[in-house]
Amino acid sequence: MAPYDSHEVSQLNELKIDLDAISVIAHYHANSDIIMDEQMPIYGGYAGGLEETAIIDVATSINAYVMSGASWHLDGPVHIRWGSTNTRETLAIAGWACAAITENTDFLMGNQYYPCAGPCTEMCFLELAAQAITDSASGREILSGVASAKGVVTDKTTGMEARMMGEVARSAAGVDIAEINKILDKLVSSYEKNYGSAPAGKTFQECYDVKTVTPTDEHIKVYEQARKKLEGFGLVFK
Amino acid sequence: MAYKKSIDEYEFYNRSKTGEKCSQDDWDLMHIPMKAMEIKQRYGLDFKGEFIPTNADMADKLFKAGFDMLLEAGVFVTDTQRIVKYTADEIWDSVRNPMPEFQLGTGRDAVTVKKRTVGDKKGPIIQGGPTGSPISEDVFYQVHMSYALEKEVDTIVNGVMTSVRGRPPSPKTPYEILAAKMESKIIKQATAVAGRPGMAV
Repeated sequence: MAPYDSHEVSQLNELKIDLDAISVIAHYHANSDIIMDEQMPIYGGYAGGLEETAIIDVATSINAYVMSGASWHLDGPVHIRWGSTNTRETLAIAGWACAAITENTDFLMGNQYYPCAGPCTEMCFLELAAQAITDSASGREILSGVASAKGVVTDKTTGMEARMMGEVARSAAGVDIAEINKILDKLVSSYEKNYGSAPAGKTFQECYDVKTVTPTDEHIKVYEQARKKLEGFGLVFK
Repeated sequence: MAYKKSIDEYEFYNRSKTGEKCSQDDWDLMHIPMKAMEIKQRYGLDFKGEFIPTNADMADKLFKAGFDMLLEAGVFVTDTQRIVKYTADEIWDSVRNPMPEFQLGTGRDAVTVKKRTVGDKKGPIIQGGPTGSPISEDVFYQVHMSYALEKEVDTIVNGVMTSVRGRPPSPKTPYEILAAKMESKIIKQATAVAGRPGMAV
């Protein structure tokens, strides 16, 4: 690792820290490393509901700069029931917290992605697209992901999810916020009843040619289908 | 009131030894939910079903609420079971003095992270990768190369190797250290073979 790589230190839920992390920060500062302070506030956890969790999110983001002297804060509001960052509630927490921070500070903010569905499924692409729209429109500087299948199943992440994250983020940039809210409402409504039965998807080995590191035709087809659905919800790809 | 000096990790550590005592259960189950609820009511926060605020006043109230939360609650240190508190001026000192921008990566693969605004026409930086997901040792290189090969991706966020030299990288074992070292070396090699040797991790 070089100083220009992101060096991670994580806060604990909620507004907690351990002293090992404080020592790690001292090490990073001594090396003049870029510091990425990470924390994922839990919706339905210690803080409770929507606005309460957003308050914690803002407080935690500020603390990244006070306690950690962070270069940037990696956020990630997550739903206690679904383990996902792509639910209606967690998207709203991320969108509101980022807008509040963006309008009142010069902090540099990121967000991380944990959709319920696995790779090579339309639902996975739609879930991560909802977050990319929210993050791009609310002013986030860095989008980090994607930990498909909630980031807990071995080999269930691929570069194609990041491609969609980038395409969608660029397309959502500059769109009127009222229009963004309408697109998001339609998009999230299309998948939010399926968290409990989210498709498991395929492993990297199943949806890529491992030797040439090339996505399969099936993976490309699913990507294109998801792209068309997003256009149907009102997103204009740039 | 003017602060004596800016907060850093050393001052934080000092306060972690002298702050108010509290049990972790009290912090998690009483302090956090009660204070968050109190502050929500103080500012009358209601998101009204919006994903992103169209009302700038309400977004400003949320910022003030978060500021108050940090100021009034503080930060709980699990090792010492004490609460570290900051003054308002100490928090403002950090709010007013962040890094304005920074570079990730080097050479032609470097990207500059700069401030965006709500509704900004310029897109964000894309950090592609498994984000801590478990990845098999035998495809760790290829999985990370799949991100580096995407032009949409600017920097890499790593996955976690499920084994190293065939053994689990369990915490507090030498395999944990070996896995951390190998992860960064393999990712750097994958980005280089993808033609982007200066890409940041």
